[in-house]
Amino acid sequence: MKNKATAMLGWSTLIMMLVALFMVFEWVPTEEDQGIVQRIFYFHVPCAWVAFAAFGVVAISGVFYLWLKEQLFDDLGYAAAEIGMVFCTLVLITGSLWAKPIWGVWWTWDSRLTTTFILWLLYGGYLMLRSIADDTPEVARFSAVIGIVAALDVPVVVLSVRLWRTIHPAVLITRAGEHGLEDPRMVVTLLVSLAAFTALFGWMLMLRLSQLRTRSRLMIIRRDVALIEAAAGDY
Amino acid sequence: MAAFAAVLRKDLRVEIRSGQSTIALFALSLLIMVVLVFALSPQPADRARDGAAALWVALVFAGMLGATRSMIAENENGCIRALTLSPIDPAALYGAKLTAAFAFMAIVEVAAVVLITLFFNLDFGADLVRLAPSLMLGTLGFAALATLLAAISSRTRAGDLLLPILAIPLFIPAIIAGVKSSEAALSGFPLAAASQWLGILVAFDVLFVTVGALLFEHVIRED
Amino acid sequence: MEHFDYLFAAYSIIFLVIFGYVIFMWRQQARLEVEIHAMEERLKNLKTTQSSADAKSAAQK
Repeated sequence: MKNKATAMLGWSTLIMMLVALFMVFEWVPTEEDQGIVQRIFYFHVPCAWVAFAAFGVVAISGVFYLWLKEQLFDDLGYAAAEIGMVFCTLVLITGSLWAKPIWGVWWTWDSRLTTTFILWLLYGGYLMLRSIADDTPEVARFSAVIGIVAALDVPVVVLSVRLWRTIHPAVLITRAGEHGLEDPRMVVTLLVSLAAFTALFGWMLMLRLSQLRTRSRLMIIRRDVALIEAAAGDY
Repeated sequence: MAAFAAVLRKDLRVEIRSGQSTIALFALSLLIMVVLVFALSPQPADRARDGAAALWVALVFAGMLGATRSMIAENENGCIRALTLSPIDPAALYGAKLTAAFAFMAIVEVAAVVLITLFFNLDFGADLVRLAPSLMLGTLGFAALATLLAAISSRTRAGDLLLPILAIPLFIPAIIAGVKSSEAALSGFPLAAASQWLGILVAFDVLFVTVGALLFEHVIRED
Repeated sequence: MEHFDYLFAAYSIIFLVIFGYVIFMWRQQARLEVEIHAMEERLKNLKTTQSSADAKSAAQK
């Protein structure tokens, strides 16, 4: 039943992704100022959206874990952090590939770039804790705490980095309060890509979560086997 | 409140008798500054900027060492277990640990300010007093974060490696604000010039002291 | 078609990374399933030997 839902989501993700790709490469008009590289934008923004959503899930599952002590929320936090990290890495890479032809540099300490990079460092630390502390029973609590603290850090990071500097194009909401996509087809393409990536995120999360659930079950069985074997040794 | 005072008194007494963390903190920040002097070869024109940078690099790395040492000592002799078994409110315990860490770092920072004044050819004067708010706010935020994180890292494998990996990214907003406001102070600007930066430091402190007090329980409790 | 290489690189990297991660998940899933079956088998065996041992010790009493 659950597998069926995952498979269905997987197939619809694939279809949506193909539609989005077709729109990006064939259907949408080329932006005049930036030329063809502007098309990176249609997948760059959805990657950022998935990364932010995933890190949000990490924080929320952290709160629920500390509250209810359900292993499910620990596994959910782990799965979301890992997926968030994958997409955060993609945001940085695709952003760099866009920046080089447009700004002339691979990287600059602009506010959004810096914020994304700090996010990457934050959740890199979170996953590092997970992998280093895997053998301690407290790791679930520790990770929940770090997940919450990291999410709370984000507003202060945004505030301080924005004051520090900014040159990133404000495409989605410009200073005039309008969006900077001149052709309606560009908006549609972006929306379809966003939908495709949201489905992809859901699918990956379901897959990874069920896997981590299996892993947790395996740990319990292992412990039971060890207990019984130890008890059997006493006979 | 009595518990808070008792734990704080214990930490301070241990420190006064051994002087261990303050001396280690001071030695490390001295060495960091020596490295930075040779790395930056200070120019008279940039002395305010270089001085502020050196001060914060020393604060962050020396503070990390101090926090690790203090929590390792607590774990080694099982003291933290005794403290968590006793009916002390975890928030009071957190407050005491935080206050102790803040006090040690503040002492070391006074020495560090004297050092940067000498190393970077700054003047002893009102500028150094104007440094106080930015340094004290930054130290409080760092101590709040480090106390919470050291409780985690001291109980995991390779914890001394893990602490900087967790703490530095979280501390970045305070580093930005701290360096900017310290630079303004050392360049002779009035406090008002750095008010936005000081505001960020205040927000950072309020946030992490509260979060630390609320979450400390989940970190130290043994199940 | 100026800067097509950047566009191409961006989209290839996105799909390479996502496929890489999905393949990593699939392989891990296969490994986990093998291990969990082995463990469950072992647990079942242990339980039967244990219950026969229990019966034996009960009979001795």
